[in-house]
Amino acid sequence: MTEPQLDQTYTALAEATARVGEAKAPLFLATLSLALMTRQTDAAEALALIAQAERLANT
Amino acid sequence: MNKSFTPWPATVPVLIAGGGPVGMTLAALLARHGIASLVIEADDGYCAGSRAICMSRRSQEILGWVGADQALVDKGLSWVGGRSYFRDREVLHFQMPSEPTQRYAPMVNIQQFYAEEFAHKAAMAQGGLADVRWSSKVIAVRPQADGAQVDIEAADGTHTVQADWVVACDGGRSTVREQLGLQLEGTQYEGKYVIVDVVQKTQRAVERLAWFDPPSNPGSTILMHRQPDDVWRIDYQIRDDEDPIEAVKPENVLPRVQSHLSMIGENEPWEPLWISIYNAKCLTLPSYRHGRVLFAGDAGHLVPIFGVRGLNSGLDDAGNLAWKLALVQKGQAADSLLDSYSSERVQATRENIAYGAKSTEFMAPPNYGFKLLREAALRLCTENPALNSLVNPRQSTPVEYLNSPLNLSAQEAAFKAGARAGMPAPEALLRAGNAPSHLSSHFGAGFVALYFARQPGLPAALQALATPEVAGPAALKVLCIASRGQADAHTLIDELGQAHERYDAAEGTVYLVRPDGYVMGRWREATAADLQAALRPLTGQSCVAA
Repeated sequence: MTEPQLDQTYTALAEATARVGEAKAPLFLATLSLALMTRQTDAAEALALIAQAERLANT
Repeated sequence: MNKSFTPWPATVPVLIAGGGPVGMTLAALLARHGIASLVIEADDGYCAGSRAICMSRRSQEILGWVGADQALVDKGLSWVGGRSYFRDREVLHFQMPSEPTQRYAPMVNIQQFYAEEFAHKAAMAQGGLADVRWSSKVIAVRPQADGAQVDIEAADGTHTVQADWVVACDGGRSTVREQLGLQLEGTQYEGKYVIVDVVQKTQRAVERLAWFDPPSNPGSTILMHRQPDDVWRIDYQIRDDEDPIEAVKPENVLPRVQSHLSMIGENEPWEPLWISIYNAKCLTLPSYRHGRVLFAGDAGHLVPIFGVRGLNSGLDDAGNLAWKLALVQKGQAADSLLDSYSSERVQATRENIAYGAKSTEFMAPPNYGFKLLREAALRLCTENPALNSLVNPRQSTPVEYLNSPLNLSAQEAAFKAGARAGMPAPEALLRAGNAPSHLSSHFGAGFVALYFARQPGLPAALQALATPEVAGPAALKVLCIASRGQADAHTLIDELGQAHERYDAAEGTVYLVRPDGYVMGRWREATAADLQAALRPLTGQSCVAA
């Protein structure tokens, strides 16, 4: 993705998160994570990303 | 006390409402093009307080056209990068594109009152064409078909001046805009920032510094910029539930400042100079031309402070407007040329607003979604550099004028790279005689035709188009950019090859550059007739071929 494309997708994600609201956000983000994960070809990398996100969530 | 007042003119070619940095620069640019103006400024001197502080490379170029760049660079503090911190650690260190062969640093920090002073002095140095009246206020504007009547309240009474053109450079609360019944359109962000200037000595390098959720001010975002005279500019965000009136009281500001300075190890004695508050705005008039009344700077548009395009875009307005207004006032171009000022600069504003909005969404997240994503991005960015562009503040870059009526299709299709019509003509470091010469230093007066060649030598027909006897924006300078050989009055040597590369130039390539340093059109092979046809609608003269 180019930087403008990253801008565009980040903004779309932020705006969708705002629209679904705090209560539904975990479900929305879980749904999106699954969709993106199925596009990940390398399982080891996906597991590493899960571990990274869990670690960072506790900081 | 006896006070003698300078008499007021009954008529003026251009009345500039507002003597801030944009109005003063416009007056200087117009004077350089031979156009007289009357500048009406309500204050009795330069601005006070903390306003615009970051001058972009393009702004330095524009001030260079009126000889104000050296003073700015000498007094200001140049910077090329910055650091962002999340809580207690650095998460980003960025550098803006800059190399030693550039003419100016990407950004210079300087207080707005210095920018006003240098622009004012430049205006005064142009042979008396700029007439600045302090402590004078525009109180009424009555537009007409061929000009406008303007009522001015001054120390010596009220005066009515008939102007051919009025340019509103009177800021966010523009009287001229109000008089014409016009409204800015767009949105504002809720997030409020307090800005504080403090005097404190430091050893720190000059960089843009940003803290997200720092221990010194949990939950807040803090920006710091160094200014001349040992001044820090500090911006910090207040909570959504804080009262803005309470937030600017020293007893609420100073402890937060002290907490942060202590946290970052700045322990020299300090004192506050200025406190105020703002919120980011994305507002513009849909058009900057209303008959004989034009709008420039904040009078026409307000952009978010993040991304530093407020004053910089105002100066870019002045740079775009001055040559066009001069040609129209001299009867060399039809006044429809000024419609291109509006369309080009409104497009620029929309781009600046879009960039500013992106910056603002990160610096002052407007809703739950942006807040949550920012929390994630700040944690992840040190481990995933792909996110850096989101955390990186977006800096001021010159705008491309897409679909401008001034863009010539010429032989555009023959080029694969380089600057298209509507893009700024690229900078290059060349040699003139035995000294280095930046290509941009040759722009900013009239039109420039660049002829690229391996060896010095201009085709006679092109050389004959040059008009050294003409002053002002209608003049055409013809320059050969040669890969090697001897420089002379019409030839610059492209020793480093930068120009040929940046212009995608082959033998015989010609670029026509506007007085504001923007490309108008480019050819692989241009005849004198091609250039004459391009210039005739703008300069009215027939360039005589030899």
